[in-house]
Amino acid sequence: MKEFLAELLDLPGVSGYEEIIARRISDEFSKYCDEVQTDSFYNVYGIKRGTAPKDGSPAPKVMRAAHVDEVALMVRDVTEEGFLRFTNIGGVDQRILLSQEVTIHGREKLFGIISTIPPHIQEDGDSKTAVKMKDMCIDLGLPVEKVKALVRIGDLITFRSPLVSMAGSMVNGKSMDDRASVVMLVEVMKELDRLKYQAEVYATATVQEEVGTRGAIISTYRVEPDIGIAIDVTHGETPDAPRERTYAMNKGIVVAKGPNLHPGLTEKLLETAGEYGIDFQLNITSGPTGTDARSIQISRGGVPTVLVELPLRYMHTTVETLNLDHIKQGARLIALFIASLKEGWQEWLKY
Amino acid sequence: MKELLANLTGVYGPSGKEDSIRSAIEKEIKDHVDEIRTDTMGNLIAVKKSTLSGDKPPVRVMTAAHMDQIGLIITNIDENGFLRFSNIGGVSPFNVINRRVVFENGITGTVSYETELENMKDLKLNKMYIDIGAANREEAEKQVSIGDVAVYYAPMAAAGNRYFGCAMDDRAGCAVLVQAIKTIKDSPNELIFVFTVQEEVGLRGAKTSAYSVNPAMAISLDVTLTGDTPKSRPMAVRLGAGPAVKIKDSSLICHPRVKNLMIDRAEEAGIPYQLEVLEAGGTDSGSIHLSREGVPSGVISIPCRYIHSAREMVDKNDLENAVKLLNSILENEIVL
Repeated sequence: MKEFLAELLDLPGVSGYEEIIARRISDEFSKYCDEVQTDSFYNVYGIKRGTAPKDGSPAPKVMRAAHVDEVALMVRDVTEEGFLRFTNIGGVDQRILLSQEVTIHGREKLFGIISTIPPHIQEDGDSKTAVKMKDMCIDLGLPVEKVKALVRIGDLITFRSPLVSMAGSMVNGKSMDDRASVVMLVEVMKELDRLKYQAEVYATATVQEEVGTRGAIISTYRVEPDIGIAIDVTHGETPDAPRERTYAMNKGIVVAKGPNLHPGLTEKLLETAGEYGIDFQLNITSGPTGTDARSIQISRGGVPTVLVELPLRYMHTTVETLNLDHIKQGARLIALFIASLKEGWQEWLKY
Repeated sequence: MKELLANLTGVYGPSGKEDSIRSAIEKEIKDHVDEIRTDTMGNLIAVKKSTLSGDKPPVRVMTAAHMDQIGLIITNIDENGFLRFSNIGGVSPFNVINRRVVFENGITGTVSYETELENMKDLKLNKMYIDIGAANREEAEKQVSIGDVAVYYAPMAAAGNRYFGCAMDDRAGCAVLVQAIKTIKDSPNELIFVFTVQEEVGLRGAKTSAYSVNPAMAISLDVTLTGDTPKSRPMAVRLGAGPAVKIKDSSLICHPRVKNLMIDRAEEAGIPYQLEVLEAGGTDSGSIHLSREGVPSGVISIPCRYIHSAREMVDKNDLENAVKLLNSILENEIVL
């Protein structure tokens, strides 16, 4: 599991450019699925078909979704000196950018660093204000002619920050948001193989979440599920963060409650957790969540949706930190929940 | 092209009231297409059939440019005959100060503001009004009603290859599309040309038309910002350096295959082009690409200075090259 996560973190998958990582995910899905599809935007669908109910009643179509895209940078211009100006794709905190190592996906892969002025030669007061992204540039260590030959406007820039194992089951690296949840999609498939279930289960690795849950909009339309299960990350607790918006790193996965999520179905999910002794924390969320769930819920005629989240520290940085145990726990909960959808599942969706 | 652009930028058509501009465009293109219809939202949809025969269905390509323009909608008429207004689309208070505006019925007025305002930075549209020269409410109400919409009154002017005027956003795109329809050769693709409504209020006409057209690929034509004026927000696009192949804006990340198709066609045909990374703003393809199961989409942008002012500026060569680029994409077989 950790190896697959490490492999995913190393693959580029910037929003709108997910073809490479989609291919790897498709390969992994095929090991555990009856059928795997990829659409024209590189959403990947892994389909597992359960045993249909004996009484001939329809089995639910369940779509689990986790997004594959990562926040990143894009070349906005090449300066006369051969440095790159850039913009962000998705929410990048400009305060973390200085001195980062990056990969530029030009005509070939290039190594770059986001340049800074050393403290010795800064003007008085410079160190007190944050540098704006529009004033930053990337140094490739190459002469300007070479840069202009290899890089053009619109080329993608990803962070270099492979998976690092910390103490116990904690790991950090870039794009844990939301590749850890993609790993969970696969873990759910493994769990399902040990269980009896009736549902037709789609695992959708969605694209373009970081720029507006766009992959979820089109993939949910295509699948037309009866039930949606979004999997994403939420904020892990740190000493300086507000308590009410963060979650413990060792007290179980997070289940969201609020208008974006179906109340009856969320209750069933929590009952399943209670029944099997799976720890969880509650995230009370007042509006549409910042996850694929916001779009899944309002696809076509509406899709009853639940949301499972992994606590993660330092979101949208290169050291996103999480607990691997949570991936296992979340996978077990989701698989057991799917298995519990038997004849009469439609009753769960009623108000 | 100059005459066409002058004509189209002079026709009234704020979002939601596109009747006149739709008629003007329909008149231009109706003899050059196989079918033409207007949908319930008011989108004008024209079809040029594929030349392919046989069992293989042609690739259906939707090309869109929005007909609507920004405007000022009347919310209140006071006892002295001054009209208060709200915005239709992105209207900046600073762009409309002391501008001449015109209503659908031809009544014109001047936009001004409450001069007791101490700091111009605090100027908001609710501190502004339109003066149509009426002596009182009664006289004003004979000419204008609440809910009427005014647009800039700014006939197009030219200086060499540069054209100035209002509503270049997006009548420049409409003009390119009209010109393409008139000049395009036979195509193996099924070409659906949509002149959309309500782009300025949220890419709304594109949303319904993309759903009904259900294309395999889409291209929008719209204006984009430039970074070539003094101390402008940095951007690599310049006026006159060719149409821009959009890479991204706030509404979409152009599909890599569509983007590459545009670049390849431009290179093959020797058409000058630029690459556009726009950090704000959106266009019809933002709606279209999320229609149904997703439509791979791109945008050909026309560099334009002073967008949403009464003096938007475009370049003749950029327009002509945009037509060439669009035609070279649409005339050839498309494999995504």
